Amino acid sequence: MATFKVDPISRIEGHLKIECKIERSPQLNNEYVVTECYAPVTMFRGFEIFMVGRDPRDALLFTPRICGVCPNPHSITSAMALDDAFGAVPPPAAILIRNIEEAAYYLYDHLIHFYLLIGPELGVLMGPEYGAPILPPVAGREGLAKGIGVNYAKCVEVQRRANEVVAIWGGKFPHVTSYYPGGVLVEPTLDRISKSIAALVPVWEFIALRHMQDIMNLIRANERLKEVTASILGVEVGLEDIGIGVGRFLSFGMMPGIDDYESDWLDTSKRRNSLIKAGAYYDGSSHPLDESKISEDVKYSFYDGPDGLHPWEGVTNPNRDKPGAYSWTKAPRYDGEVFEVGPMARMLNTFGMEWRIPRVHPITGEDYGDFVYRVRNPKGSVLDRVVARAACVLLVANAVFQYLNELASLVKEGNTKVIDKKPVPSQARGRGLWEAPRGALSHWVKISDGKISHYQCVVPGTWNWSPRDALDRPGPGESAIQCGTTWVPTLNVVEIANALYTGWGDLLAAALTRLNPKFAKLNMERTDSGEYVNATIALLVVRSFDPCLACGVHLITPSKRTYVFEVGPGLTSVY
Amino acid sequence: MVSRRDFLKIAAATSAAYVISRYKLDILEVLAQSGDYVHICWLNGAACTGCSVSLAQASDPDLLEVLMSITTFTSGLPIALPDWMYVIHPASGSLAVEMIRDWIDHDGVGPKILVVEGAMQEKGFCETGGRDFRDWVLETADAADYIIAFGSCSSFGGIPHAKGNPTGAMGVQDFLINVGRSDLASKVINLPRCPGHPDSLILTLASLLTGIVPELDKYNRPKAFYGKNIHDEQCPYRGFYDRGIFADFGQSEVGCRFKIGCKGPVTWADCPTIKWNDRTSFCIEVGAPCIGCSEPDWPDGDYAPFFVELSSVPTLLGYPLESWGAAFAGAAALGVAVHAARKAIKKKPVEGGGE
Repeated sequence: MATFKVDPISRIEGHLKIECKIERSPQLNNEYVVTECYAPVTMFRGFEIFMVGRDPRDALLFTPRICGVCPNPHSITSAMALDDAFGAVPPPAAILIRNIEEAAYYLYDHLIHFYLLIGPELGVLMGPEYGAPILPPVAGREGLAKGIGVNYAKCVEVQRRANEVVAIWGGKFPHVTSYYPGGVLVEPTLDRISKSIAALVPVWEFIALRHMQDIMNLIRANERLKEVTASILGVEVGLEDIGIGVGRFLSFGMMPGIDDYESDWLDTSKRRNSLIKAGAYYDGSSHPLDESKISEDVKYSFYDGPDGLHPWEGVTNPNRDKPGAYSWTKAPRYDGEVFEVGPMARMLNTFGMEWRIPRVHPITGEDYGDFVYRVRNPKGSVLDRVVARAACVLLVANAVFQYLNELASLVKEGNTKVIDKKPVPSQARGRGLWEAPRGALSHWVKISDGKISHYQCVVPGTWNWSPRDALDRPGPGESAIQCGTTWVPTLNVVEIANALYTGWGDLLAAALTRLNPKFAKLNMERTDSGEYVNATIALLVVRSFDPCLACGVHLITPSKRTYVFEVGPGLTSVY
Repeated sequence: MVSRRDFLKIAAATSAAYVISRYKLDILEVLAQSGDYVHICWLNGAACTGCSVSLAQASDPDLLEVLMSITTFTSGLPIALPDWMYVIHPASGSLAVEMIRDWIDHDGVGPKILVVEGAMQEKGFCETGGRDFRDWVLETADAADYIIAFGSCSSFGGIPHAKGNPTGAMGVQDFLINVGRSDLASKVINLPRCPGHPDSLILTLASLLTGIVPELDKYNRPKAFYGKNIHDEQCPYRGFYDRGIFADFGQSEVGCRFKIGCKGPVTWADCPTIKWNDRTSFCIEVGAPCIGCSEPDWPDGDYAPFFVELSSVPTLLGYPLESWGAAFAGAAALGVAVHAARKAIKKKPVEGGGE
């Protein structure tokens, strides 16, 4: 047994580190695998505390600053919580504008994750033919001319175009300013609509053609990965076999239709007509969402108070000296169970195990054939999460054109009202539930004397990166890392790449060490017994969740290491 | 060879948007005069990462152009990654820590620039690479030639320092002064706004790399971007104010936003001319009030509640009193210039008269 840590982890949002116990696995040819993982998050700002006493409408502009990677979902979720509290119902044009703003934002977000955040690792695994376009442009302009990093570079351009559409409706990105309780502040004009369509056509083309091709290539390259792992480990280990999740998936739903808003959308137990449906997926099917089943445990968190409180009653009483605690993350649970949130939860709750997304050009009508995927690992895996994200972004890219067309029709009819203006209530409460790219997001606000008296955010970062709960069960992220297949090779990245494709590692090494000779040591970490191990696969599992940790507003790192290590089932005094 | 134009001086007289469109090629060309790439260390403290994301929205030049042309100088490298930058760097873990250490130890030709994103806090609220973030900033600030506080959090504390915050959040400059390092505080150039505007960062970098320290206001903000009042000097909806036509919530096409809480009268930033996301729009244009995110007191002081009308607009000869103060404050700007001179002296023996 040995331990290693990775701190900090780059190419994620926020401050996260992982600490892993590794053991030799008889099932994987006696190679090291992670058998226990703790994932502390290391930054705290205290939004829920300093928002109390403020004008409720300020939540629209404070909460996006929780996270600059996913600011839009906080904008709309706070807007929905205030819609609820103010008793305001957004008019049809406002619903569409909100959908357009959020959809355009989604295109940027999911693309950035695939190409800029997780892409470098996937590119290495995919080899010279399939991987080169998605690698970063390490060989500069010359390399780009030969195809190295072309899709990465194109992604940088395309995400910008998507965000121009966010700015058309929201003023700027990050941190839009046009939301308001009961609707939006920006009026729909045909000029804004046509500019949006013009900006989004190349984005759609990139997603439907190039990005989907990269995803198909990933699935092909995965077969090669299995052959090679079979020869090294004695058993096939593909991307569907690593980062295995808990098999329960929670979605809050997003993008309501304008016709079903009052009947279906506001009652979150329905939400069956929206683009993404709400539900709790387990035992092979999606069950209606029941908001009352959301709760947060604090047994291993630095907070005093009872386990299992609903966010309406949630309290935040920090206690740095709490015995047994190892994280400042609370542990959200649904119906008392551990649930994963994110793109896979959205796709499973909306479509079940098989996803079929059309690729019909929004302008020319040309049909490029459906994108079809059948879930490989129903418990969740690196591959399934990555493909789910791609399927989701294609789905949203199709939908945004529908919203723009519907909005154009409303404008032509003169139906351009964008706000159901209501005064700030003296006493009220409201909640907003939505799907951020990283998963289920909810805001819970109480208003007294016209001011915020209670604000709780239960965010994807706390669902996926929760610590152990009241029943000692690890969170989804920790579970996936310690699921038993997180291989920790002693081979370095170059050697692994060479094993996958002859000479591939040498090519990569030449390109990377030209930038900095030390890149030869990429992802190699020293264990407490002095051996160097390769953390790439553990990091791949981490990044498959697309962690976004500034969102974990409750979180803080323990400054004394003993908090972390003298606790936890079976893990004592690791360092 | 292109002469060393002071881009920011021109920007202050015209607008940053004008400089970028008129002098883009000059900026690229004038930078290609050294033999190393630009050494940038980008640290994230109490941040939301929105400023990194904002840099990725830079359009002209865009992020890859910056990495593949501007920051490579004439090093011969195909692409120059920042020595460390959380969101795009290949390295994690111990190698990442080593990269920051190497940047601290590096002693090369070009200037070493520290970019900080996110606020400083009391000890124990932000840790990275096994150390408190405060310790990282103290050490890197000491090694840096210039410190750019990108975004409102690292400039003045931003949202994390909102009244009632439990972590003692503040900007980098205040932090350095508070820990008794005013000498380091004088290196700080503040580029507030929430998020930081990508063009303000790229033009400031370009300016520093050509050896020109931008002229700063009393809050160490380059006058080029923060020299003009939004309401009095730039807003395209100002005409409505003068005619007494005011917009209500949900009316983005006509009317001054003053009565829905616009803080333009107490805000100095070039948003109305540079706009955002490839000159697409800005807050006021979509029917929203300006929330004043470039200002030191923000989000408190005059600024929040955001949707409530300003109680008064202090003016003198038609201009807000605040803007008069800026004319008398050159002291902070002088601090940065002095440091740059010290650096030039220090470097001379190393370069062996190569200049």
